[in-house]
Amino acid sequence: MAKHFRSGDAGHLPNQRKSGGIGPPDELPRQRRGTTPQMYGRYPDWDVLSQQGHWDIVTRNVVLDRVQKVPPFRFFNEEERRTLKAFSDRVTAQDKEPRIPVMSMVDAKLDAGELDGYQFAGMPDDRDVWRIVARGLDETAREAGGHDFASLSEEAQRQIVGRMADGELEGGSWEELDVSKAWSVVTRHILSAFYSHPWAWNEIGFGGPAYPRGYAAFGVGTKEHWEPDPAFDVDPVTDTQDRGLE
Amino acid sequence: MKTPRNIFKGSIRPPDNDSAFILHPHKRGVPNVGRMAHYRDDDEVDMLIVGCGAGGGVLSQRLARRGWRVVVLERGPFWDPDRDWVSDEAGSHKLYWTDKRIVGGSDPVQMGKNNSGHGVGGSMVHYAGYTPRFHPSDFETYTRDGVGADWPISYWDLKEHYERCEAELPVAGQHWPWGDPHGYPMGPHPIGGSAEVAWKGAEDCGIEMRVGPVAITNGAFGNRPHCIYRGFCLEACKVNAKGSPLITHVPDAIEHGAEIRADCMAIRVEYDESAGRVTGVTYLRDGQEHFQRAAAVAVAGYSIETPRLLLNSKSARFPNGLANSNDQVGRYVMVQGASQTAARFAEPMHMYKAPPPEVSSEQFYETDESRGFARGFSIQTVSPMPIGWSEHVIADGHWGYALREYMRDYIHWTVLGVLNELLPHPENRVTLTDEPDQYGMPIPRFDYSQSDNDRANIAYSKKVIQDIWEHADAQDTLTIDRYAHLVGGCRMGDDPDESVVNSDHQSWEVPNLFITDGSVMPTQGSANPALTIMALASRLADRLTSKRVDAQGLRAVPSG
Repeated sequence: MAKHFRSGDAGHLPNQRKSGGIGPPDELPRQRRGTTPQMYGRYPDWDVLSQQGHWDIVTRNVVLDRVQKVPPFRFFNEEERRTLKAFSDRVTAQDKEPRIPVMSMVDAKLDAGELDGYQFAGMPDDRDVWRIVARGLDETAREAGGHDFASLSEEAQRQIVGRMADGELEGGSWEELDVSKAWSVVTRHILSAFYSHPWAWNEIGFGGPAYPRGYAAFGVGTKEHWEPDPAFDVDPVTDTQDRGLE
Repeated sequence: MKTPRNIFKGSIRPPDNDSAFILHPHKRGVPNVGRMAHYRDDDEVDMLIVGCGAGGGVLSQRLARRGWRVVVLERGPFWDPDRDWVSDEAGSHKLYWTDKRIVGGSDPVQMGKNNSGHGVGGSMVHYAGYTPRFHPSDFETYTRDGVGADWPISYWDLKEHYERCEAELPVAGQHWPWGDPHGYPMGPHPIGGSAEVAWKGAEDCGIEMRVGPVAITNGAFGNRPHCIYRGFCLEACKVNAKGSPLITHVPDAIEHGAEIRADCMAIRVEYDESAGRVTGVTYLRDGQEHFQRAAAVAVAGYSIETPRLLLNSKSARFPNGLANSNDQVGRYVMVQGASQTAARFAEPMHMYKAPPPEVSSEQFYETDESRGFARGFSIQTVSPMPIGWSEHVIADGHWGYALREYMRDYIHWTVLGVLNELLPHPENRVTLTDEPDQYGMPIPRFDYSQSDNDRANIAYSKKVIQDIWEHADAQDTLTIDRYAHLVGGCRMGDDPDESVVNSDHQSWEVPNLFITDGSVMPTQGSANPALTIMALASRLADRLTSKRVDAQGLRAVPSG
């Protein structure tokens, strides 16, 4: 049963929750227009791609390519793909379809050598960091009794990811790098791919590219006429029923 | 083009820079590239500049205007905003200098999109647009506070050049009460929700804020359009509203005969043992090695590439790198502490709209002994786009479902940042590794470690912005530590043993070698460095063209 939400409240935020961990946001409305990762979000009628007629052609091509042209894997081998897809799904909480193809996007950048312009002293090249992390995840999964990382339960995968985020993985391949710095390298690539995708913009209510139209309403609590209303202030169940959508 | 016409009345027009009027009214690319001068490699030009950013761009325009034959070598492309730039975060990756740099020390600095640009316009292409001046105290921190170093020049030497550059950019903002109080050529831009709540919180704890200063047109200025508040300043301004040398100085430089030679990587400044002078620069273009002859060379590659180029220019006279007998090249590189605290409000803020730099305070800029550390910091609004916001959230320790939850809350958040004056230390330096890059040039290494004073400054400033948000009734906050900007690495000074160049940016050891970028700064203040780098280049150009620089540094140059 869906609960009633108010966007003005902050009680849903992880640091403000009184009890328990945080899981899938089953209480959120289903997306009705456009796509969001896993089809939930706070703006069920917001499809940023519906605004593409207002974008300059160069930007439009760059953004549409992310949706329409998923690059083939070239950099990672079969085993690495399997491990790292599961890993990036846990980091970005993509537990079901539709998923933003994060690892395909990361693979294309690594294959093209598009790196970020620095390498921590004592760390390998970013491309090697990725391969070592894939190996390390599988090794740690075997210690946990699995065949490899992807074959573990999602909960067991999350535990390993949590230990990596805390810099606590050790032994085997993990000795070849500083685990905290490796976490910083791989999550930077993952987030940069995930939040460059218009499906993620739909989920968070971002207005997207803004040239040449620009913005006029930027005061507290104001919005452009075409920007989305959060569905947080309405009960998604009664709202969909009232609107005859179900 | 050269004579002001009546039609321009009502529009601010700098007296000696027509760039904004040379630009095309309907296209963003620099229109006079097609008729740019071209010099042959064996043609000895009067000044060869390496790097077309804040320093090199301004210097080229000033010298070309006075009749000097100028060539600028720029590693990156000659940008056309219509064709090359996008209103998109990830799509702007090509704006940054992303060649490998090894970062070490106890507090390593992340490079790339945060602090390193390439292409005509340099890092100013993707800076936020903030253009505060330094304070008079910045030029004498050693005398006043016993820390850092005194500059060989004072604020008053730069003041006229601050004013000239502010008119050329042009800068918009409220009258500025801090440092040397001053006004701006254009009035302040309207502010967004993020700035409104920050202003209220600050006021409530007795902190004064002001709008601006930003190098973003706010009214008629040649063919530069008005800002459209789309918020993508850090992704390069597709509108041509935000100023960078690409549109503020390069068009005028080209009009007066300068050649901006893009896609050329300088690999060595060549030195003639018998003459005791540099003779030009060896560079790579399309994989081919070239040598451009020059009567004088000005290096303006910023705090990593300038030291790297000098260190890589070895000769029998300079086995440790050009102009580096005293082992000062590459030392005292500085970054500013730039911690940020995000705050959540009940009302939507839409922080992605309007330029990220909106309001700021320099109330904590100077030393206050009661705080327990020397020098200070400034406070500025910053407004990350989605990828930047996700980096903020994960840096606070949230991944998976928690990350997504904070991200879905995006429009309710806004961010305040600080800029701490971290002090110069000789071991914070650029060196060369043994590993070659794609040009066969050694990859640079940049080590950075904070001092106790630096840590105390950062910790104090974080409490102040947290306090502002609490007074603004924020519902939740997330804080991250980071750095911003780069200066130092080839500092100017009065003592040839302790510095690389003199007050005229001239190498102590090679009279026709100049350094004209942020790397000459002995200290950094808490101000964003772009405007000061431009003002320094403007002052040097004045000194050169009025022949106040020791004549042996230059060949007989055209009178101007």
